[in-house]
Amino acid sequence: MNSIRRTIRPEQIREFILVLLIFAAILFFGSQIENYYQPRTFTRIASSVAILVVVAVGQTLVVLMRNIDLSVGSIVGFTAYFVGRAIVNNPELSPLSIVLLAMLMGGILGLVNGIIIAYGRVPAIITTLGTLAIYRSLLVQFSDAQTIITSALPEWLVNLPQVNAFAIGEWELKLIVLIALVIVVIFQLVVTYLPWGRRLYAIGSNPDAAAMSGLPVTRMTVSAYTLCGALSGLAGFLFLARFGNITVVAAQGMELQVVAAVVVGGINIFGGTGSMFGALLGTVLIATLEQSLLRWRIVSEFWRDALLGLLILLAVATDSVILSRLRAFWARGGVEQVQIEN
Amino acid sequence: MTEPILEMRGISKRFGTTQALADVSLALYPGEIHALLGENGAGKSTLIKVMTGIHRPDQGEVWLNGRSITINNPLEAQRHGIAAIHQEPMIFPDLNVAENIFIGHGNRGSIVRWRQMYREAADILARLDVKLDVRSSARGLTLAAQQVVEIAKALSLDVRVLIMDEPTASLSAHEVDQLFKLAKTLKANGVSILFISHRMEEVFSIADRVTVLRDGRFVSTHPASEVTPESAIRDMVGRHMDDFFAKTDKEPGDLLLSVRGLSKDNVFHDINFDVRAGEVVGFAGLVGSRRTDVALALFGIETADAGSVTLNGQPVTIRTPQQAVKLGLAYVTEDRRQLGLTMPMSITTNITLPTLHQYANRFGLVQQRAERQTAETFQQRLSIRTPDVDRPAGTLSGGNQQKVVLSKWLNTQPRLLILDEPTRGIDVGAKAEVHQIIDELAQQGMGIIMISSDLPEVLAMSDRIVVMREGRQMATLNRSEATQERVMAAAMGQTK
Repeated sequence: MNSIRRTIRPEQIREFILVLLIFAAILFFGSQIENYYQPRTFTRIASSVAILVVVAVGQTLVVLMRNIDLSVGSIVGFTAYFVGRAIVNNPELSPLSIVLLAMLMGGILGLVNGIIIAYGRVPAIITTLGTLAIYRSLLVQFSDAQTIITSALPEWLVNLPQVNAFAIGEWELKLIVLIALVIVVIFQLVVTYLPWGRRLYAIGSNPDAAAMSGLPVTRMTVSAYTLCGALSGLAGFLFLARFGNITVVAAQGMELQVVAAVVVGGINIFGGTGSMFGALLGTVLIATLEQSLLRWRIVSEFWRDALLGLLILLAVATDSVILSRLRAFWARGGVEQVQIEN
Repeated sequence: MTEPILEMRGISKRFGTTQALADVSLALYPGEIHALLGENGAGKSTLIKVMTGIHRPDQGEVWLNGRSITINNPLEAQRHGIAAIHQEPMIFPDLNVAENIFIGHGNRGSIVRWRQMYREAADILARLDVKLDVRSSARGLTLAAQQVVEIAKALSLDVRVLIMDEPTASLSAHEVDQLFKLAKTLKANGVSILFISHRMEEVFSIADRVTVLRDGRFVSTHPASEVTPESAIRDMVGRHMDDFFAKTDKEPGDLLLSVRGLSKDNVFHDINFDVRAGEVVGFAGLVGSRRTDVALALFGIETADAGSVTLNGQPVTIRTPQQAVKLGLAYVTEDRRQLGLTMPMSITTNITLPTLHQYANRFGLVQQRAERQTAETFQQRLSIRTPDVDRPAGTLSGGNQQKVVLSKWLNTQPRLLILDEPTRGIDVGAKAEVHQIIDELAQQGMGIIMISSDLPEVLAMSDRIVVMREGRQMATLNRSEATQERVMAAAMGQTK
């Protein structure tokens, strides 16, 4: 039993359950929806995951240190719109500079969040609830309620979502999906192998002890929010590429999906535990439900948000009940922890 | 002896009206275990906090290896090689053992080399002769194991002065033995250990020298071989009783409360005492004596596992504070700021809070005039010094705040009043007034339980004193037989 306890952690059991849930959802919708098992279905889910997971990775950085960013939906909408505007006005800009512009724009918005939280000592949930509204209002104000339309965008951008990284028969992996997966892997490495990443866990795990140990909590807060903003900016670029038509309500409500994906993915809302792979699994589940419900005639699409809300509640409730019991069971395995010799 | 590692010279620190430390000096030599003794409030914690950079001294100097230094925060203290292990270890539950040891290090390169970190952590634990899986999560560790992790962390930082603040308070006897083995290993490596404990036998089994503080002042430093438990206790108490108001003697009335065999697993065990009308029963003991837990169990906030409580001849089981208030109990908390008062609300609303339903008219609206009248009555009766009762409670001095909390509970017209540290943190004048109020209440036939860490206060005000130590009732002394030495000896487990 102890050897099992050493090789498997409670968090891994949780991720395994998540994989089962995803398969269960696919089987269920496959039995309910005609022609569900087609490459097209999964390509659509994957494109949806690609955008969501980039934001979820940023959100995870923030949640790991016992914070939250509710403004991500507004940041995605803001960057999607203004990057679109920049391209329309300057069609000669290179793809790379467009991506950097999106990340810079998002990063600045995230930096503002981080500064208010770290130096203004305003609770994260209040700060980002405020900026959620403010960033959206800025978008409405400065866009003059005009819409970016696909036909005004350069061809490379409009075609980007259709570009395959590679394809095997009808099953294809889109480039934007590959980019998103690379980002997940990069940030999984960041939180595992960089001192910066490990400190996120430490701060979320015990903020008082972190301050006492001299960890740079303020700087960490600012940098995590800036990164979260930059990733949301990148997601804004992908959003623009995928949808083309951007109105002032673009990505509105995305924060709900992202927070759902993150907590369903096993990132503890009180910080300290979770991984980027967990966030990816959470996003896949959310995107699968979302895309499938669109095609499931029995349930009105207005119930989608309610379902997301229910998932958040379930995920957090199971975390506090089941996972804490699992952990206690694991901990009991080490009763004779300390032996001092001689 | 060689030169001291760390020297505190003439340290003074003041908080508001309280002089926490006055001209305290202390020297720590390499390879010694130095015990620091003193009652609650003697200044031990403040001295440690000055050493670890949590507080800055108002006066005095800290010398390290023959140089004067300033320590602005715990991180700087660590850099100077000064680390502290607290009674509640500061660990990161979601990180594993090795990470907990190294997380505070800023100089371990730009990438976490896990294998190397595990190896180094294992090396440190091996130096301590400890077997502990460096990959296991810190969440499941026992308190003793967590302390080992803290000690390993201190070692990894190349610590020269290790402060252990009541490290043994929640450890089993076996774990204490192991901790002492560790302490001796460190000592052999030239580390200087400042050890704080309320357990005399531990102090004498491990310390090389013993320093006693009293009322924020230095009393004595002696080699442990020249100190006896009796002489140490004499140094710790020895306070003057003259300026204390004493309770008026009065024939006690009917039996109000009778507690038999009250126990709660791992908290307190077999507590027995009676309170009669007009009596003050004092509860003495040191930090961790679990006196407050007994009070909370009586008041229905905690639940006892065994034993009986008889109130006015009726056996009762009190499960909620609401029920306790209905039965005529009131509990004045020791934590005035957090639990006693709502600071931004007015004196009036604070006083009437538990009895608000009595001020409602038939439409269910609160009659502010009646509320105000009550508040003004108490203002006069307890002489609460404020221009008017509409001021926020937070604007009052500590002593007057305490009077507001008292008013609040007296307004419920209790027959049994539980006071938890009623004069902590208030000035001498207000203290005397509170004592006078307690005396008057007793004269009027109220039964009073008074938990106090202020020995002269307990002795002057109590008809009977229950002395507790680590959840056990060590002695019950009548007023005539109680002395500071006897109470302190019982509180420290020196039964004669």
